[in-house]
Amino acid sequence: MLSFLPPPNDYVLIAVILGMPLLGAFVNGIWGNRLGKRAVRLMALSAVGASFVASLIAFMSLAQLSEQDKGAHVKLVWNAWEWMHTTGGQGATVPIEVKFSIDQLSGVMMLIVTGVGFLIHLYATSYMEKDKSYARFFAYLNLFIFAMLVLILGDNLPLLFVGWEGVGLCSYLLIGFWYENPANAAAGKKAFIANRIGDFGLLCAMFLLVQYTGALDWNGIANGASSLVHPGEVYRVHVWPLGGGHYEGFLHFLQPDKPYTISAATAVGLMLLLGCSGKSAQIPLYVWLPDAMAGPTPVSALIHAATMVTAGIYLICRLSFVFVLSPFTMMMIAIAGALTALFAATIAVVQNDIKKVLAYSTISQLGFMFLGVGVGAFTAGFFHVFTHAFFKACLFLCAGSVIHAMHARIHDDDKAQDVRNMGGLRKWLPLTHWTFAAATAAIIGLPFTSGFFSKDEILYRAFVDRTVNPENGVGLLKKLGTFAPPVWIGPVLYAMAVAAATLTAFYMCRLYFLTFWGDFKGWTVGRPSLLARHEIAAPHAEPDHVDDDNDDHDAGHVHHEDPATPGYAPHESPWQMTIPLIILAAFSLFAGVLNPGFGILKERPMDHWLEPVFKAASEKAVIFAHNNDASWAEHMEWPLALGGIGAFAIGTTLAWWVYISQRGAPAQRLAQSLPGLYRLVLDKWRIDELYEATVIAAVDSLAETAAAVDKSVIDGILARFTSLVVAASGTILRAFQNGVVHVYAAMMVVGLAVMGWFFAVPHPNATVVDAGHDDYVVTAAPGVGYAYRWDADGDGKPDKKDFGVDTTLKVHVEPGKSQTVNLEVRNSFGLVRTKTIHVARPEEPTSSL
Amino acid sequence: MIPAEHYVILSALLFVVGGVGFLVRRNVLITLMSIEVMLNASNLALVAFNRSRLAHVATSSYVVQSHTGQVFAFFIIAAEAAEVAVGLAIVLAFYRLRRTVRSDEADLLKN
Repeated sequence: MLSFLPPPNDYVLIAVILGMPLLGAFVNGIWGNRLGKRAVRLMALSAVGASFVASLIAFMSLAQLSEQDKGAHVKLVWNAWEWMHTTGGQGATVPIEVKFSIDQLSGVMMLIVTGVGFLIHLYATSYMEKDKSYARFFAYLNLFIFAMLVLILGDNLPLLFVGWEGVGLCSYLLIGFWYENPANAAAGKKAFIANRIGDFGLLCAMFLLVQYTGALDWNGIANGASSLVHPGEVYRVHVWPLGGGHYEGFLHFLQPDKPYTISAATAVGLMLLLGCSGKSAQIPLYVWLPDAMAGPTPVSALIHAATMVTAGIYLICRLSFVFVLSPFTMMMIAIAGALTALFAATIAVVQNDIKKVLAYSTISQLGFMFLGVGVGAFTAGFFHVFTHAFFKACLFLCAGSVIHAMHARIHDDDKAQDVRNMGGLRKWLPLTHWTFAAATAAIIGLPFTSGFFSKDEILYRAFVDRTVNPENGVGLLKKLGTFAPPVWIGPVLYAMAVAAATLTAFYMCRLYFLTFWGDFKGWTVGRPSLLARHEIAAPHAEPDHVDDDNDDHDAGHVHHEDPATPGYAPHESPWQMTIPLIILAAFSLFAGVLNPGFGILKERPMDHWLEPVFKAASEKAVIFAHNNDASWAEHMEWPLALGGIGAFAIGTTLAWWVYISQRGAPAQRLAQSLPGLYRLVLDKWRIDELYEATVIAAVDSLAETAAAVDKSVIDGILARFTSLVVAASGTILRAFQNGVVHVYAAMMVVGLAVMGWFFAVPHPNATVVDAGHDDYVVTAAPGVGYAYRWDADGDGKPDKKDFGVDTTLKVHVEPGKSQTVNLEVRNSFGLVRTKTIHVARPEEPTSSL
Repeated sequence: MIPAEHYVILSALLFVVGGVGFLVRRNVLITLMSIEVMLNASNLALVAFNRSRLAHVATSSYVVQSHTGQVFAFFIIAAEAAEVAVGLAIVLAFYRLRRTVRSDEADLLKN
């Protein structure tokens, strides 16, 4: 099977996987507007579709290869060209190649990106139907798929960084896709700048890796990773948090007397963590993701839920063998993840914008993934990436479908997305309702859905796993002492995650009930009186009238926005939008079979498949708590699952009681009794305002200072003063240029006379050089036709009667004494000039004895 | 034979006459003529020195006879001719433009 395919070490099919989306972006970007919507659609879909088919073929040959090699870590490699090379810390040459590889990890990720990407492209062909920048949208979307594939398939960090920046650029372009609205453009900028802070960390990590491991490709870093905890002095990193200098005070830890000494592994790990938390929207850099919802909904589904934001988790998995060398970094990842999961969930509980709820839900779920990889459960974390891609993409696309329906009457974006205007939509949007319900079931952890298995595994592993340094007790760690996470960290992380899961169940059910249950509050559904008779006779909701360019809303566009006026009922979306929903909902429900816990399957396929990737990292570094007691860990699986199931049960029941039984009354009472807290959470804990007041204000004042210096010093002194000097001297010199030829001639005559006088008179000059042995040599400067006469004793009587050609005179001077020498110079005109030279000698330094 | 000093004195006189004429006269044609006078003064000095040196060489046993001075004078005459051609063309053009040959009228480029 598959014998026609290229060999694994020169797998050129990768060029097709990468090239098709790039081609699509190029064609749609350059000629899109002239091609028309049908051609743009064809190009965009076939580009991603072909990429998906090629990915499937590549995945199958990878599976075959993996089977042949008995589950070793296998790679399909395509080395395009050498990009550049640099010199590493040990003086070794570090080649940076444009080299792509597919292994077990990137293979799965590649299928998610191209597969989910294709479904979302299909969805967007209909969702964006009315947009005037149709071609531009698909050019960006294809470019995003290309950049994401570069990120995933790149075989070294610089190439990953190219993709990393590429997806950041596409994210920026797509968030600000409707750039006429300044708020959208601002949201794009915010995302871009927040990501730049993370990229700073990623760049620093690259520099450190070149320095300490002498490599940037995955294999090279793996081989050189042990030197990150090398005992040598050059492998330690000294950190002053705020620089040196003595300081006493309660912030003493920020400015200690001696620098903190950390291993290179911790430095690299923390820098990578900064990069990953920027891209994956973790505390403290998560603020950009909620604002990123300004982009079109398919973009939110593809970039800001399913693929790009998981790049940080992908990078942690990819470099797991570096992270496990530093248990401190691992603990920080887990803490950041747990905090983010809980914190974002609290915000999601009170939001009213359907996309904002999903955005905070995404941040919260990304926190779960961070928690998973942070406790060393790389497979569990990555499996959550996998399942989350399906259910969150499905939720966003459903939200898009709902917004699409709401747009028929409500044209204000904010109002169309407000759940308070929805309700009862399950009657009119049956497909959207059922797929949304399926994806919600997955995210809240309904037992045996995909989200249940992936989240439960993370909760379980957070409790039972401990990370230890694999090099424990050797090398640097023996000298410096090794960091071990405290014993209480596992239960605390577990408790935080269960709390976050409970909130997840509550806010997702709240969103589901408010959108699809109860009474419709958007507008009065009834017969529009303004419509013609035959239109009233026609059925109002037509699910599949798509291919013509003006389908659904146009009837609605005509009339007034007054919700009291009867209008058509909201309608289901066309098939291009519902087919992706159905597929994604099916995966949300059933993808769990790939990695079920509780011993349901004898061998868990995903675990087995990814084992070679994480084996090296996790086998020594990740142990069970309770002295690595495996049977204890096994016994804990069922009791700990009760936390996850309990979270689901409590959250769901509470939401049912609040929003269905009591019709939202308890929520309103709570909000009224605690108005301050309610406002605070509704304003997202005012973190944006906090950043505005601290970090952004500091940067602003720095910018203002710089601007003031620029205006006063640079402009005022340097530029204006220089120009003033030039202008003044110009004004003076201009007086001499009076245009009269005779004045110029007279100046010439005067100048010639001065020069003539200079050359007619001899110029005696001499230099004195210490020649040693108490001797000094006096050398007269040469000149045309010069003759010299010396008077060595300075008594006014020349040594010789005639002028000679001797240009040097040696004089003997005792310490502390000085000597006067007269030099007479005569030139060809017979003029004589005299110069008196004093040769002085300093005192010898006398000894103090 | 007339000694070189006489020639040099005459040459210096001619040069001063030319120089003063160049500086004080405003008629461009006269200015050009003054330049000619100065150049010819230098020509006279060159040939005179050359001649006196040749006479000195003839009385001694020195064999190398140099005519650099005379040759230099010819070159200067050639350069003078070219200069006059260009100069008169400028004068002509200037006259057509301003209907005058007074040099202090030619001050368009002042300041």
